[in-house]
Amino acid sequence: MTHESPPNTAATRNVSASAEDAPMLVRYGRMLVADKTALVAAVFLAVMILCAILGPMLLGDLATRQNLRGRNAPPFDLSRGWAFVLGGDQLGRPLLARIIVASRNTLMVAAGAVAASFVVGTGLGLVAGYSRGRMSQIIPRLADVIMSFPSLLLAVIVLFMLEPAVGNIILVLAITRIPVYLRTARAEVLEIRERMFVQAALVMGASSRRIVLRHILPVVLPTLLTIATLDFAFVMLAESSLSFLGIGIQPPEITWGLMVSQGRPYLTSAWWLSFWPGLAIILTTLSLNLLSNWLRVALDPQQNWRLETRRSSDA
Amino acid sequence: MGHFIARRTVASAISLAFLVIAVFFLSRLTGDPTDLYLPLDASQEVRDNFRELNGLNEPILLQFAGYLGDMARLDFGTSLRSAEPALAVVLQAFQWTLVLALVTMVFVTVAAVILGSLAAFNVGGPLDRVATFFSLIGASAPDFWIAIVAIVIFSVGFGWLPTSGTGSIWHWILPVSVLFIRPFGLILQVVRGSMINALGSAYVKTARAKGVAPRPIIFTHALRNAMLPVVTVMGDQAAGMLNGAVVVETIFGFPGVGKLMIDSILQRDFAVILAAIMVTAVAIFVMNLLIDLAYALLDPRIRY
Amino acid sequence: MTIASRSKPVTRHLLCCAAIGIGLSAGAVQAQDDRAITIALNEELDLIDPCMAAQSNIGRVILQNISETLTELNPADGSLSPRLATEWQEGENGTWTFKLREGVTFSDGTDFTAADVVHSINRTTSDQLICETGAKYFGGLDITAEAVDDHTVAITADPAQPILPLLMSTLTIVPEETPMGEYTRDPIGTGPYVLSEWNVGQNLILDRRDDYWGETPEVTRATYVFRSDDAVRAAMVQTGEADIAPLISEIDATNEATDFSYPNSETTYLRIDTMTAPLDDLRVRKALNLAVDREAFLGTLLPADTELATQIVVPTTAGTNDALTPPAYDPDQARQLLEEARADGVPVDTEIVLVGRTGLFANVTEVMEALTQMFEDVGFNIDLQMMDVAQWTEYYSKPFPDDGKPRIVAAMHDNNRGDPVFSMYFKYACGGLQSGTCDQDLDAMIASATAATGEERNELWSQTFQKVQEELVADVLLFHMVGFSRVAERLDFRPSIATNSELELAEIKFD
Repeated sequence: MTHESPPNTAATRNVSASAEDAPMLVRYGRMLVADKTALVAAVFLAVMILCAILGPMLLGDLATRQNLRGRNAPPFDLSRGWAFVLGGDQLGRPLLARIIVASRNTLMVAAGAVAASFVVGTGLGLVAGYSRGRMSQIIPRLADVIMSFPSLLLAVIVLFMLEPAVGNIILVLAITRIPVYLRTARAEVLEIRERMFVQAALVMGASSRRIVLRHILPVVLPTLLTIATLDFAFVMLAESSLSFLGIGIQPPEITWGLMVSQGRPYLTSAWWLSFWPGLAIILTTLSLNLLSNWLRVALDPQQNWRLETRRSSDA
Repeated sequence: MGHFIARRTVASAISLAFLVIAVFFLSRLTGDPTDLYLPLDASQEVRDNFRELNGLNEPILLQFAGYLGDMARLDFGTSLRSAEPALAVVLQAFQWTLVLALVTMVFVTVAAVILGSLAAFNVGGPLDRVATFFSLIGASAPDFWIAIVAIVIFSVGFGWLPTSGTGSIWHWILPVSVLFIRPFGLILQVVRGSMINALGSAYVKTARAKGVAPRPIIFTHALRNAMLPVVTVMGDQAAGMLNGAVVVETIFGFPGVGKLMIDSILQRDFAVILAAIMVTAVAIFVMNLLIDLAYALLDPRIRY
Repeated sequence: MTIASRSKPVTRHLLCCAAIGIGLSAGAVQAQDDRAITIALNEELDLIDPCMAAQSNIGRVILQNISETLTELNPADGSLSPRLATEWQEGENGTWTFKLREGVTFSDGTDFTAADVVHSINRTTSDQLICETGAKYFGGLDITAEAVDDHTVAITADPAQPILPLLMSTLTIVPEETPMGEYTRDPIGTGPYVLSEWNVGQNLILDRRDDYWGETPEVTRATYVFRSDDAVRAAMVQTGEADIAPLISEIDATNEATDFSYPNSETTYLRIDTMTAPLDDLRVRKALNLAVDREAFLGTLLPADTELATQIVVPTTAGTNDALTPPAYDPDQARQLLEEARADGVPVDTEIVLVGRTGLFANVTEVMEALTQMFEDVGFNIDLQMMDVAQWTEYYSKPFPDDGKPRIVAAMHDNNRGDPVFSMYFKYACGGLQSGTCDQDLDAMIASATAATGEERNELWSQTFQKVQEELVADVLLFHMVGFSRVAERLDFRPSIATNSELELAEIKFD
């Protein structure tokens, strides 16, 4: 979701001989089918995105209808209908339906915060690493300041003055996650800019912009993607701790993080309350990470033979 | 090198000043603490008196000037909550946090670097799959799950470890283990990723072609090159811990700076918020300086 | 004696403990003395000044353990018994004379005399120090104390207080030498225990005194530790690391042998802003009350022995009206009332903000969500907003935000002092800081009850409660809450309604 055109174009230029004639999409499709785990991950994510788009529309009422006298219904009991297959929550609402409905807010907050911090952090990091002027001094200090500014204080300030709306939560979480991308991108650029191929491009008169985007960014990207996928889980859980303190998204809105933290007291008596939404967070993170690992191989001209040959040997 | 450190110190001092000014004014936008410290039924007279005694009714610029003046005499204000010097309160908590963060990061680094390298050396192999799977689950699972389940199993169930608190070395085992999991997962993934890149690079291939044994390849050639992002991400994780490991502190009753910070923010205890941010900021600035020096050590071509 | 010593540096701590710790089974954190107990509290103490004892987390450690009061309230029946005062009498013009107990010494060895009482009263009500007890119980009162002789003190309140002896059950007595303008971290009192160690962030230790004037309690030493997680406190008693966890969650209270419920003197209610349309209409407020299925909460989101509230104070308070019954759950009538109001042009479809507070009590978010649905089921348009305490206070206490939005604020009120005077003015009078209503008749009733004594006082309070609930419908009263404690089986101790504000070590016996 965060990988835009530069890496793609970089990779397509280096298509390996075996599949040179196949259209790009078909080729990636084949590489995805070749990696079964990545395929499962991709399907899972696609389902989650569908849930996020359609869930609230289709299941909104089912997920909010309470039944105080039928609370904490245990999972795997179909007598109350399919929606209760994962059990009921502390207000007797079906967990499955709630997880599906909550996927919209959750994915919006997580994707928004991760994408924003990724783009801004990476951009600043590239500039800080490549520039040898004032920017290389000022930007890292900015990262220091953000790292030292407690995210909770930022949340209290923003949300005390504004509403606890989804957009503001994204803003708070995005700001606090900028430094890790910034510092990682910068550190890698510091090293890469000294490498031979960059020096060569310089000699040949390439513009700084072109060197950074065409030569340096593709090398930095895999590490940043690894961090970004795991940040998904971090952001989802950080959002829930803000809610827990009364500062983040609040009921009747739902997110997986909020469900996890509301189920916390029941951990030893009704584990399913926080287990399923927690599992949703884990599976989403896992899928993203597996997919990004696949992507790293698929995009790397030196490694994508692994996927291509496996396909041809399968066939 | 000396020049670099000197220049960096000046820049960091300016950042710190900026941070203090920002926090001072921004935190006061979050409301008047008076109501939080008095019973709901307190009369207007008592409220006015509270503001008067704590200097809250002065114009904000005057409050700031006063704060600067006190700071020049190394007085960082008094905690509204405990009526103790704010800096002493913070340092008291920070020493716990510092030890907890250091101990945990040492374990994390050793374990993640070794396992991550081994996983990268045989991509798709059994070790890689197992390590990746568990590290990812660990890194994305809610930390209080792990904490509570660990207490239920190891303290209540087996009776091997104390549930919480401080006092003996045994008390440190559960908090460190729980705190270990997320950074371990993340750093293992970063090590693995960078190692795969490094192992694919030309010079490692050359070394392999020459018949150098696998282990030296990993630990001398590739690792050194792959450490740049690893060191950076370690820094980010350590910074997170220096800001306080809130869940671990809350559940295990560890008197660290994370819970202090949260309570102070929720209670608008401005002096403590400021002192805590200053202490953690200095720690984070120093750490980032060390990391930048480490880059230059790892790769002599890096210049600032 | 060093009090409040900041703890040893952690590193030294780690090293020395690493040395001795090995070989020691960790579970066996044994006390050297089997009459020593450990108490797991939910929040750390910030201060330990006796004049802050009205704050429940401080009171639980200090009250009647370190510091004592002149009189003592028996919360079960609202009666007063002597403690440091042996008898008291009302005189002219609001003056009360207290006879003090003789032969009492403070833990620093000095004698307890009338001068200490005078100093304690002055200190608690002084404007040089913000004392919780002063702000909570003595606000708006002009109190002067005078030593008649060494063991007699005359206390005058202006305006005159018929319940002055009751007020004195909140005021902790400190020695004359206690500084006026600062909080002490070395509390000296006449109680059976003395603070011997305070390792900030870790624990706080009280040791038994040998020269206490009263009966010697069984517990020799009490170590207080602080754990904010409910499940951990419960687990600590289970593993033997602690002996009492005064507050645990109902969900964790699963062992009949160790877990006890007790009324915690808290009452939850929804304060209605009766000045703003549509809430200014009596039918709308009645509809709110009829819409809530209170019984449905019991045994589900709230413990089964929670009681339905008919007034804002617990039933053991003097002057409560037994004739009042909780509003019936009747959604049909609620809808009908709303329709009638609508027909009269009341804007019943206006969005009403329901303000909740996170962490107010266990399951508060779920309770608020359930209430929201109940209101919406009868046709209200509710916007639930959960807030942290700082934001919530802006809506709960005056001055209220002046934006014309109708609001209902969920709150919890704790009156454990046995008399409605600590509640009625603040919650219902026109000038009350948390009052959402204003009615001249009610103000007059509150004023006359406040000034009355004895049976007449009870009768007047009783009428006031009736007026609030039946005529004005000023709020949606919900529940008298219960708390849960876990007590190790080796102890003979049952939590009571007093446990919320004090935990008298002398009452703890061993089996």
